[in-house]
Amino acid sequence: MSKLTLKSAVAALALMAAAPAVMAADLVVGLRAGPDSIDPHWSTLGSQAEALRHVFDTLVDVDEKLQLKPGLAVSWEPIDDTTWEFKMREGVKFHDGTDFTAEDAKFSIERIPQVTGPMPMTLYTKYVDSVEVVDDYTLRVKTKGMAPSLPNDFTRLFVVPSETGMEAGNEEFNSGEKAIGTGPYTFVSWQPKGDLVLERFDDYWGGKAAWETVIRREIPEDTSRVAALRSGEVDLINYVPASDYLAMKNDDEIDTFVSDSVYILNIAPSVKDEEPQPIKVNGEEVEGNPLQDLRVRKALDLAINRDVLVNVVLEGLGTPANQLMPEGFFGYSPELGKREYDIEKAKELLAEAGYPDGFEIDFTCTNNRVPGDAVVCEALAQMWSRLGLKVNAQALNGTVFFPAAAREEYTMTMSAWGTLTGEAAYTYGALVHTKDAEKGFGNFNRAGYSNPEFDRVFGEGAQTLDPEARRKLYEEASYIAMEDRALIPTVILQTVWAADADTINMTPRVDQETRAYAITPVE
Amino acid sequence: MLSYFITRLAQAVVVVFAMSVIVFVGVFAIGNPIDVMIDPGATQAIREKLIAQYGLDQPLVVQYWTFLKNVAQGDLGTSMVYNIPVVDLVFSRFPATLELVLVSVLIAVGVGIPAGLWAGYRPDSIGAKMIMALSVLGFSVPTFWIGMLLIMGFAVELGWLPSGGRGDEATVFGITSSLFTPDGWSHVIMPAINLSLFKMGLMIRLTRAGMVEAMGTDYVKFARAQGLPERQIVFRHILRNISIPIVTVLGLELGSTLAFAVVTESVFNWPGVGKLIIDSILQLDRPVMVSYLIMVVILFVLINLVVDLVYARLDPRVRLKGGA
Repeated sequence: MSKLTLKSAVAALALMAAAPAVMAADLVVGLRAGPDSIDPHWSTLGSQAEALRHVFDTLVDVDEKLQLKPGLAVSWEPIDDTTWEFKMREGVKFHDGTDFTAEDAKFSIERIPQVTGPMPMTLYTKYVDSVEVVDDYTLRVKTKGMAPSLPNDFTRLFVVPSETGMEAGNEEFNSGEKAIGTGPYTFVSWQPKGDLVLERFDDYWGGKAAWETVIRREIPEDTSRVAALRSGEVDLINYVPASDYLAMKNDDEIDTFVSDSVYILNIAPSVKDEEPQPIKVNGEEVEGNPLQDLRVRKALDLAINRDVLVNVVLEGLGTPANQLMPEGFFGYSPELGKREYDIEKAKELLAEAGYPDGFEIDFTCTNNRVPGDAVVCEALAQMWSRLGLKVNAQALNGTVFFPAAAREEYTMTMSAWGTLTGEAAYTYGALVHTKDAEKGFGNFNRAGYSNPEFDRVFGEGAQTLDPEARRKLYEEASYIAMEDRALIPTVILQTVWAADADTINMTPRVDQETRAYAITPVE
Repeated sequence: MLSYFITRLAQAVVVVFAMSVIVFVGVFAIGNPIDVMIDPGATQAIREKLIAQYGLDQPLVVQYWTFLKNVAQGDLGTSMVYNIPVVDLVFSRFPATLELVLVSVLIAVGVGIPAGLWAGYRPDSIGAKMIMALSVLGFSVPTFWIGMLLIMGFAVELGWLPSGGRGDEATVFGITSSLFTPDGWSHVIMPAINLSLFKMGLMIRLTRAGMVEAMGTDYVKFARAQGLPERQIVFRHILRNISIPIVTVLGLELGSTLAFAVVTESVFNWPGVGKLIIDSILQLDRPVMVSYLIMVVILFVLINLVVDLVYARLDPRVRLKGGA
């Protein structure tokens, strides 16, 4: 491993010192976060899936916009209300030379509940009742009730050989003994919080990747990651901080790659009968909860100047949001227009609702979960103060924020939410649907929001197998929730990658993943 | 001597016990780690199952009792995030921190004490004044900032040294360390200097203060009258006499740097324990937080014990008695 590091460091140095056209066979990537384990079924963490995708393939894959595309399964269709049939790709080899069959996919689905970590993948198999192997290349999945989103759930379903055995755990995977997949790279070594070293798998079904060796190095500190790129220690970095982005954009020696992310900063106003932290007028607690009044929620929305948030507060690294998902996602409502900024109208609405002089409200946000969360939080507080509100804004570390938010201790919060599956059921089901433990909905609905009309349309969508009909229903559900200001979306955050100028080609992905096998050297 | 050890040991057990209660209650008060870690797509059923699986639904006292029972059996817990025993996790990273801290302490002592001696020996010289001015910078300028300056200068602009990470390792006499290779040294030198600056400033000021005081004492005058060479007076007599506070501070600094070299490790992406503990705190990886802090307490107790032994060696008037 260390030899490779040296070699690539030297190569990178040579690349920087000599001519930019010199090609390296190795790619060293500096990343903010890496995997927690090499067991692909250990955790649902995004950085985990991103890393292990190089070694293991999923049944269903996603493109740069998170829309479904074939992976190890070439096609899938429902054959009745509770059965999905997946056709497997033929001629796929595992790194140890054995053939991939439907038996391996069955084993992988059944292994997931056997792995017990703090971020279990069982949420991807929660609809699975039983799995049946019809023949080597056909797999049938019986579901508990109707499960239209099963193919979406299987985008994180990594396939390991059925010979792995149920007893194998983190230790066997981390040592490399069981780290055998069908992916474009074979596993060489990994240290927690350190380097993940990968070697190209020449028999990959998707064609040979461009780089012989890939080193994914974790450098969590933003400034250190930038320095590592500038000193030529790494070839590519992700999550370039906004402060460095401006300088890099104008630097001829550096290429930057910018993309919208799945993450949107949403405001969640609590609409419970009694707000958790009192809302006050002249120091007196008001009767009832003003946030229950749609006019008040609309006023809060109208007072937000999203262009200022994007251009000034986030230094250009964002896009104004009008709903909880970026455009192009399954269930994105094209009916919803751009959110307007109109402080006069906002004041009128507030006066109509009975608060001509505003009120005093607590507003709590995260400060370290996504780039820009703390500054957007402060900016929002200022924008609302123009409306006449007294906003006690507080940006907290996620370690403190999330447990307290789960206890529903805040009246109004802002945090980032990412539609990681690329479709509406994931986001609206968790955030907007009435809390219903039995159906598994609303588990992140901490605002106490409940709208029977929304629940009906959404529920109908969740029971519709035909994708086009389902899309229409989800679009309608999105529209209802957003018009009702169940949550108030502010900005879509953007992610930036940076590399030495004219060295690599890459298409930035909305899910922020850095896939080495999709990156090619500049010829 | 034996009773001394027994007393110290008993004290250590009490300290460790008290610390474990404080840490445990503190960590418990922050909240439920599952709420920090859990995937947004997880259902309520999954969440409850997890909480039960890790015993987080039990009252504080029960959780603490379980923890104590496990510790008594030598099990300090397993990281929730990595599913690796905390002891393995810490010790896989400890050698890196140890290297860094040893080199930085050597630099701090090797430069700081001679500089301090000189500054105290000739307090009015220009050299002494410059040393003192620099020592102020050493502990007033933030480590983070100096680290960034070093990286910008030596790694980005000049390209002489790598900007971060640990270098190649080699094994000599069964000890594996990056200090046995030139590449390892090229990696360790910048973070070590960065880490040493604060300690160096401290060493300079302590040594100088002791030196100035000692220069006026009778024993120095007698030694001079006796016609002893200056070198012998400074290094054999004065240095030995002013060593006690230096050793005390050095011991404390050694402990805190080993345990919390976080800033330097982050800036230089050094794979040490400091970074591990910060990440664990951010993810609320309870077993790692609790067990690591307890290991730190044990480390401090051990270092203090060594410091006491060194006192006895330096100053024959110090006797190791029970209850000392």
